Amino acid sequence: MNECLLCERITMSKPSWKELVGIEIQPVICRECSKKFVRAEIIDRQSIVDEITCIYSYNEAMRNYLHQYKFLQDVILATVFSTELRQHLKGKLNVVPIPIHPQKKIERTFSHVDELLNYAGIPFFDILEKNNTTVMAEKTKIQRLEMQPLFSLKAGVVVKQESYTLVDDIYTTGTTVQHAATLLKSAGATKVDVVTLIRA
Amino acid sequence: MEETINQELRSFLTGRIWLRMHIPFSQEQIDEHIQLGLIETISGISSKRRMGRLTHHCNRCENDDELKFVTFNCAKCKKRCTYCRNCLKMGRVTTCNELIYWIGEPQTYSSNHDLSWYGTLTPYQQKASRELQSSNKLGIPHLVHAVCGSGKTEILFEPIFKLLLEGKRVCIAAPRVDVVLELEPRLRRAFPKTSIEALYGGSESPMRSAQLILATTHQLYRFKQAFDVIFVDEADAFPYKTELTLQRAVQKAVKQGAPVHFITATPSDQLVSDMKKNGRISFINHRYHGKPLLVPRFEPLWNYEKHINKNILPKKLLVWTQTRMERKEPFLIFFPTIALLEKAEVIFEKVDSRIAAVHADHPQRKERVELLRDKKIPGLLTTTILERGITIPNVQVAVIGAEQSIFDKGALVQIGGRVGRSAQYPAGDFVLFHQGITYAMDGAKSEILRLNKGGVRA
Repeated sequence: MNECLLCERITMSKPSWKELVGIEIQPVICRECSKKFVRAEIIDRQSIVDEITCIYSYNEAMRNYLHQYKFLQDVILATVFSTELRQHLKGKLNVVPIPIHPQKKIERTFSHVDELLNYAGIPFFDILEKNNTTVMAEKTKIQRLEMQPLFSLKAGVVVKQESYTLVDDIYTTGTTVQHAATLLKSAGATKVDVVTLIRA
Repeated sequence: MEETINQELRSFLTGRIWLRMHIPFSQEQIDEHIQLGLIETISGISSKRRMGRLTHHCNRCENDDELKFVTFNCAKCKKRCTYCRNCLKMGRVTTCNELIYWIGEPQTYSSNHDLSWYGTLTPYQQKASRELQSSNKLGIPHLVHAVCGSGKTEILFEPIFKLLLEGKRVCIAAPRVDVVLELEPRLRRAFPKTSIEALYGGSESPMRSAQLILATTHQLYRFKQAFDVIFVDEADAFPYKTELTLQRAVQKAVKQGAPVHFITATPSDQLVSDMKKNGRISFINHRYHGKPLLVPRFEPLWNYEKHINKNILPKKLLVWTQTRMERKEPFLIFFPTIALLEKAEVIFEKVDSRIAAVHADHPQRKERVELLRDKKIPGLLTTTILERGITIPNVQVAVIGAEQSIFDKGALVQIGGRVGRSAQYPAGDFVLFHQGITYAMDGAKSEILRLNKGGVRA
């Protein structure tokens, strides 16, 4: 017996041997709620970013989820997609989360991408720094393209000649990850992949 | 000294407990009032070590269920910080978020009011109204146990009026927003001079707070020792009856030692025995038109789930529905689950495409009920969401799967209460389709029979 993190109904999942010996983890949301999230499994290839993987598509359930997670600051919701994130980031080298501005982080009390990775138990390198507090969602496509570099490397960080994987919550026009990938590549990264939870 | 007090702030905060971050006043003003000793601050979550384990308590909603707390690394206070998920939707309360409340001289309220309601009460309503007033004088809790359709709201007008004339602050709380929305215009009409505020999820909070507050029970999380009297309407409705924090919220919102009254058609045994011990009970077993309550008819309907899942409408149900439509009687069919309701909706569409379904999350819930009331559609399929509060003249009611546990005694009595409410059509059909008679069904039937007989006090 567990309470679903999203709809707060009691979930009655059958106990299984896999769960008991720890191979499988008990789901934190009920079956009805998880059905509402639609998988996208979009994989794209581009020049700046080598490979983009988006796990889910954006729908009403996802909007509600993001609202409760980011706006109502329900940190625990970071666990909802842990299994999926682990699957998609398995074997990926040098995981780097897209950061939020330090001021924004204090306001929200947590960094939403960092927490997604923390709850999934995925080790990551927090090497990027956001330069300003601009919010992507408020900009038009043209404004997005004309922007100054969004990110810089944290002081003293050395980028290795290896492949890197950027992680973000949502992929809309791709401006954010392109800025980050450009920065990593100019600093020496050989390949930059992107994994995002949602494709808008 | 007096000039430095912000009157608006005092009005806003008197009797309230509010997240400091979310208050619609500047933080400098709050600081000034704290220094003057007019506002007290408290950490949002108190943590205590009990038996070697850390336990938490939310100072807004009084939640202490450990499963509803989450501790995380907070970037704001740079420490391990805990937040409460129970009242999250009203703005997150954390250890490092302060709650504030007013401790200075409180706001005083007007004693100049009008009661502009000119209806007449039945002798039974009058008696209950008088009894309620005398309980108010004595300051003891009171239960108005009045059958469905006996005119509960009207009973409250006179007692509320008397309290307002004494400059008292009064709250009517109801578990469901539908009830609040339905009551608001009636109260505004009845008390034209009184400052009235209706609070529910998504309502605006004006800078000045009102004397007569109409609120969902959830909103009482935000009050602290505010009211001289609270009336809890439909106290047995979900979620109030099962949510301990909502019950605590009511006790927290009322001033120390002040009474909390309950008004319901189906009080729990617990409530009745509490009231016998500590308060008084008024009982009305007559509907305002004086006709008896409808006694349920039991009708077996075997394997209804199987049939509906196979897209077949059980014969008896089809006949019942067609009879209603031939006689042009509006009908409500109650289903135990949303899943079954949605399957049935598809089959009913073949009978008549206008038959529609509603449930709690349905976006067109209000509109569809209106359509039924305006006779634009023949009938509605529903979950228990419509079990109370709605009045549709000459409506006929069927319950599918009446043996299922969601239909407890109280729910069945409430559902039956939808039938025969208007004086023009005091009769009707109230049928329980079942596969096996349960104690709840028997209980509901004997309760209704008992009430009709003159109802010896429970």
